[in-house]
Amino acid sequence: MTAFLDIAGAEKGFGATRVLGGVDLAVARGEFVSLLGPSGCGKTTLLRIVAGLLRPDRGHVRLDGEDITRRPPHKRDVGVVFQSYALFPHLNVAENVAFGLRAQGTGKAESAAAVDRFLTLVQLGHLADRPVSALSGGQQQRVAVARALAVRPKLLLLDEPFSALDRKLREGMQIELRRLLRELGTTAIFVTHDQEEALTMSDRIAVMHGGAIEHLGTPEEVYSRPATPFALEFVGLSSRLPGRVVESMNGLLMVETPLGRLRAPGSFLPGSPVLLAVRPERIRVGGTGEGNAVLAPLTDVVFQGARVQMHFAGADGLPLLAEVSELPSGHLRPGAELPLHWAVRDMLVYPAPDRAAVA
Amino acid sequence: MTKRVDLFALSALPAVLYLLVIYAVPLLMLLTRSVTGAEGLTLAPYTAFLSDAFNWQIIANTLRVAGLVTLTCLVIGYPVAFALSWARGLAQAVLLLSIILPLSVGVVVKAFAWQIVLKRDGVVTAALMATGLFEEPPRLLFTETGLVLGAANVFLPFMILPIYSVAKLVDPRLTEAGATLGATPWKRFARITWPLTLPGVISGIAFTFSLSVSMYVIPSLLIGDRFQTLATLTGRSFLLMRNEALGSATAVLLLALAVAVVVGSTWFARRLGRAA
Ligand SMILES: Nc1ncnc2c1ncn2[C@@H]1O[C@H](COP(=O)(O)OP(=O)(O)O)[C@@H](O)[C@H]1O
Ligand SMILES: [Mg+2]
Repeated sequence: MTAFLDIAGAEKGFGATRVLGGVDLAVARGEFVSLLGPSGCGKTTLLRIVAGLLRPDRGHVRLDGEDITRRPPHKRDVGVVFQSYALFPHLNVAENVAFGLRAQGTGKAESAAAVDRFLTLVQLGHLADRPVSALSGGQQQRVAVARALAVRPKLLLLDEPFSALDRKLREGMQIELRRLLRELGTTAIFVTHDQEEALTMSDRIAVMHGGAIEHLGTPEEVYSRPATPFALEFVGLSSRLPGRVVESMNGLLMVETPLGRLRAPGSFLPGSPVLLAVRPERIRVGGTGEGNAVLAPLTDVVFQGARVQMHFAGADGLPLLAEVSELPSGHLRPGAELPLHWAVRDMLVYPAPDRAAVA
Repeated sequence: MTKRVDLFALSALPAVLYLLVIYAVPLLMLLTRSVTGAEGLTLAPYTAFLSDAFNWQIIANTLRVAGLVTLTCLVIGYPVAFALSWARGLAQAVLLLSIILPLSVGVVVKAFAWQIVLKRDGVVTAALMATGLFEEPPRLLFTETGLVLGAANVFLPFMILPIYSVAKLVDPRLTEAGATLGATPWKRFARITWPLTLPGVISGIAFTFSLSVSMYVIPSLLIGDRFQTLATLTGRSFLLMRNEALGSATAVLLLALAVAVVVGSTWFARRLGRAA
């Protein structure tokens, strides 16, 4: 099966700085894919290339079986919700939503019906005659979504559409947008620097770093087996420790670390420097169990409602973080030494990043 | 709150006084003079002026030349204003300087310069001949075309600067949004850029039209006495003919025409903008 949207080897530089270094991304029809990465990693640049607002230096963009790399934006059928919304200030809400239909020559009655439908879908039917400047941020955001969807684009691109909204509103909008796109069967690429947002909304996540996609996978995959140390660090919390492989046998490693010898799945040559990591909810506090076990002094307990974070100080001042749903019994004063253990398969292993190798 | 408003009002006082003494009072005197005859109040200067067909020709000259100058400035100035708002750094500084610096050159000097540019063996004629479209050198100096070109050059900054001040505020994302919604470049211009820059266009038109409808020195130097406008006639009435009643009447007419056209075009342009 060929992908609905296929980005192949997209490269882009501005002057001497290379912003995108050969990005490949295939998106299936109806899929919701997030581009997740820190500010400046090239998310907007990639989106603009797909929309036709920027021409790549090299590479191809194919949509629905056609090469659109050199096609101007108004002939692409690719909708965009801009980060700043970019609503037309001289038009009211209904006129903004009608803009694309009218520009494409849809008749008055037909576009009025579509405007009605899409304003109702984003629950703004009652504000049709308002000037856009009279709307709140959340309402402007909905107008931008309705405007982009009203022309029924093949593909919808959203550039950090919720970044200007407060948390409460944002969570509501995430669910709403997802439902709306599913109902319409719209394929979408969603840019965000917020990992929680990406995890909640996406069918798949592309973790971007320095102009490249480091990990492309389902939220589950990206969270539980991040492909690179960057993806690990960017998505979710983890305890990380440097080590050196002392034994490697049948896909099982023995690694010498400041916390002692730990076992991990993987195949590295003995002597290789590696980076080990474990997610906080994988660590069990107290008791005994199979796998890796260490003894570490408690430094802090942070109550977070449904979960409790327990901070420990490993050897060499390496912090260890465990997340539990209820506090273990016993004395939990800071300084108390507690046994921690976690399964071998929950240990993540990476080749040591350069800076760790030097240290 | 009231105190603040009072202070604001007070701060406008010098300007109000100045305009009152320098502008409003003389204008009132002019108006009075134009309706005072030997036997008191009269409209004779107006009826006399307007009943002469030759004078209607003068009014037509005035409006046509001012209209053409304004149109020329708009057609040349609109793209320049955009170039200025897109340019960055040194390019922008150079462009801005080349638009503002000529304002410091007196209008007399510029008019003389245009005499040199437009004359039979001048650069414009040479360029036109080089296109091969003309059998013999077209006459430019002392023609209406030459006048319009020269005047447009002098008043161009007054069209460019107001449009530029609005154009630089128009978010470039808006035309991009238009493009992603399927609007062709022309539709993006007609439905986004033009309506959003209309306020600048209106001020530009108001500036250049009121300046060119009342210009006096430029027509005197570039076309001469054969060609009369309301402004040159007003000048001649006072300076040569010593006919104060006629001069006052033409001055008032000129003012009324200019105000009517500026207010009318503003109203029309706003309507257009709303319809688009
Ligand atoms: N038009 C441009 N000219 C020069 N540099 C640019 C331009 N657009 C983006 N960049 C640079 O490219 C990098 C990536 O930008 P962008 O794609 O906007 O990142 P993101 O959306 O992930 O924050 C940034 O370092 C930015 O400064
Ligand atoms: Mg961005």
